[in-house]
Amino acid sequence: MSAPGPSPQLASRTRGERAEQHPADVQLVGVRKRFGGVVAVNDVSVEIPRGTIFSLLGPSGCGKTTTLRLVAGFEQPDAGEVYIRGARVTSMPPYRRDFSMVFQSYALFPHLTVAQNVAFGLRMRRVARGDRARGVDEALELVKLRALADRYPRQLSGGQQQRVALARAIVVKPAVLLLDEPLGALDKLLREEMQVELRSLQQRLGITAVFVTHDQEEALTLSDRVAVMRNGVIEQIGAPREIYDRPRNAFVASFLGASNFIDGVVVAREAASIVVETPGTRISVPGDKAAGERVRIAVRPERLRMARTDAHGLPATIRDIVYRGPVTHFYLDSASGPLLAYQQNARAGDWTIGDEVRCAWDADSAVVLDGARE
Amino acid sequence: MKAALSAGSMLRGTATTIAFALIVVPILIVVVAAFSPNDYFQFPPPGFSLRWFVEFFGLQTMRDAFVLSIELALASATIATILGTLAALFLARRHGAIAALLQSLFLAPLVFPTLILGVALLLLYKTIGMPVFPGLLLAHCIVGMPYGFRTVLASAQALDPALEEAGQSLGADPLRTLFLVTLPLIWPGVLSGWLFAFIVSFGELNTALFLTGPGVTTLPIEIFSYLQFTGSQLVIAAASSVQIALIVILVAVIERVVGIARITRAR
Amino acid sequence: MKSAWGWFLLAPPLVLALVFFVVPLVYLFWVSLHASSTSELYGAALTLRNYSDVLADSFYLTIVRRTLGVAAVILGLCLLIGYPVAYFVALLPVRRRMLAILLLLFPLMVSNVVRAYGWVSLLERRGVVNSTLRDLHLIDAPLDLLYTPSAVVIALMTILLPYMVISIANTLAALDRRYQEAAQALGASPLRTFLHVTLPLSTPGIASGTLLVFLLTLSAYVTITLLGGPRSKLLVSLIYDSVTAFQWPRAAALAFVLLALALAFTGLILALLRPGRVQGAGR
Repeated sequence: MSAPGPSPQLASRTRGERAEQHPADVQLVGVRKRFGGVVAVNDVSVEIPRGTIFSLLGPSGCGKTTTLRLVAGFEQPDAGEVYIRGARVTSMPPYRRDFSMVFQSYALFPHLTVAQNVAFGLRMRRVARGDRARGVDEALELVKLRALADRYPRQLSGGQQQRVALARAIVVKPAVLLLDEPLGALDKLLREEMQVELRSLQQRLGITAVFVTHDQEEALTLSDRVAVMRNGVIEQIGAPREIYDRPRNAFVASFLGASNFIDGVVVAREAASIVVETPGTRISVPGDKAAGERVRIAVRPERLRMARTDAHGLPATIRDIVYRGPVTHFYLDSASGPLLAYQQNARAGDWTIGDEVRCAWDADSAVVLDGARE
Repeated sequence: MKAALSAGSMLRGTATTIAFALIVVPILIVVVAAFSPNDYFQFPPPGFSLRWFVEFFGLQTMRDAFVLSIELALASATIATILGTLAALFLARRHGAIAALLQSLFLAPLVFPTLILGVALLLLYKTIGMPVFPGLLLAHCIVGMPYGFRTVLASAQALDPALEEAGQSLGADPLRTLFLVTLPLIWPGVLSGWLFAFIVSFGELNTALFLTGPGVTTLPIEIFSYLQFTGSQLVIAAASSVQIALIVILVAVIERVVGIARITRAR
Repeated sequence: MKSAWGWFLLAPPLVLALVFFVVPLVYLFWVSLHASSTSELYGAALTLRNYSDVLADSFYLTIVRRTLGVAAVILGLCLLIGYPVAYFVALLPVRRRMLAILLLLFPLMVSNVVRAYGWVSLLERRGVVNSTLRDLHLIDAPLDLLYTPSAVVIALMTILLPYMVISIANTLAALDRRYQEAAQALGASPLRTFLHVTLPLSTPGIASGTLLVFLLTLSAYVTITLLGGPRSKLLVSLIYDSVTAFQWPRAAALAFVLLALALAFTGLILALLRPGRVQGAGR
């Protein structure tokens, strides 16, 4: 499943080069895990290069958390191998593996102070008292919580607890930092702030991190690479822009935000693109498919441009207009089914419900999906 | 309608008053009687005296029984709580038929007629030649184990499983995770389990009835034999009051250390 | 690794429970199937005589019937008094409810021999009841209150009553008040709300209270002996007497008759009340 997507061979090659420069800190090879009759993780193989953030993104029950717990060693795989910094750790218990983790519930020890919580991992590694105190100080400085070192977790706000959990995890300088929905319990504003902070901290320290989330915006903001998972299988791996702009199938396209799907039949092949006949019009899309094949095309709503009926494009009628502040959402009906368009700077009176329009987009904004119908 | 309602609440109030009186009066009577100056208990008491307490501690058999009961309760509560804690930690995160079976096994002595356990153990001990004190100690461990097991199980199941995983993720092996993370957090459960096991052992009759021997007798059994063979004398009231006083102190300790809510939930 | 740790936790308590709980009971059952012996603990021959003797002998049957009768009366009284008390306690505000339950719990921690002695000193010929009645000139000669079946019933009932009250009160207190409100909103009178909603929802508490009271009645040897005297023997007294007479197979068989009664009653209560049906309805 880690094979590159249809068009971005280029991107995959650059990835390969990067992987050579920086050896993989985490590697999963053909990992499988089932719980009773349910396959939680099915033949997953990934490589996570040093110093990058890798996100596992998917709906609940897709196997992303199980994958993370397989790296940690809280679960043992039924098949496959797990490597951390090149060492095979598949059958090694968690406490011998070189990682640390930020838990969804933070799991701060309630009977220990902030400083004692942060010192815990250093204590386990038998770091001398003086070095330990210095390490704790530095880590708390990084998350700007030195002033609260002697408080107990229950005396802190959610955001502060989150930072302590982060400090506790980075102070041991792990080969890989695992984060299990670490921002899930925070409110939206704080979450966005922490995303930026987490990213800058990770880059400053050069940490390798695996990040589990069900929030696609979070994955796109934070990650160097994202793996979209469903039913225990990785549907697509790539850089955020790549999986957003060039989703391989309808699931990836719709999980990462809204998408318009247009069905049609290939009528002609050109140099690097194909021409697709749809109920409303003919569309040229980058891709390589045989003539006569039925295909599904995806176009992001923000790439859809609306023009007056004299322009070229897919004919549609405005069914509804929803004003959302920075953008306006247009709900359209077309011969290819309902469409959605986002427009910035749309002024009141530009368009009204019932208007006939033509929808168009740049040729490279459209993507041909795998598996014609889902 | 209104009449029915108030009749109902009057009935409940009356029943409650009578019930509490019936439950508490026999215990109060014993305490009051223990301070009698007379040879026989008179109500209301004509005065106040500690002579029966002096007599209680003066009787070698009573004193020995009291000391033995305390030693027995200390030892059996400690062993029972350690073992109950181990069992609870094992079962806290396990489900399924075997886990359910084990849980019933560890809780069984709570409802099992302990008199029969006493008979069965005496028979076993006679067959294998078990000395009196260790035999009694093991019996009280069996009887006390469910208390530690139950309170620790409740505490352990209420614990966020991520806390133990966090310990392991930071490099603590299972034993260090147990001592540095789990035990400090379930400590109130362990402590209240221990106190219950102590109290139960201290007042236990049904196995001790069979398993005590000449010179190795617990206070409740000594009181029982005294009542049966010497008759109801006020030294028994003093012995009983000592029993009651110790329990009052222990309950106060539990209340101070772990709070009233844990006591009322533990049974 | 994980399983080694598991065994480290499980092995000590499991070994204790098996060796000193399960094994002695199996051994006791084995002995109950043997003839008695004057020189050994039990004879060599396998036999069912011990059981057939108990079931055929009218003396034993009388005692079994008396045991069940006493247990039934105690149980009935505990339910009759315990339910309204539990209801009262359950309706108290949290803090006062806990205090009430603590007050009920405390007597359970005091040894039964002490509580039985309390009743002895109330009921004996020179006891508090007789002397008070005499002071009030209601009686001339002391009444023989002690060493009667009624003394056993009253003492044992009050000793065990807290179990019933606490079991039911905890269930009632955990009940979601909205069930009752829903019933009343549907037009049920307070009485019908109680009969059709509250009472059925409190069956788990009733069941556990009933089982505790019944099982503890069966093995309350000390209370029965101190208050019943030699004339009011129950099944446990016979077990004790057989042990002191070194009739091990007989004692073992009587013990299993008692266990069978306990088991049958437990099955009956669970079948009748089916507490599992509404278990956890309050949460």
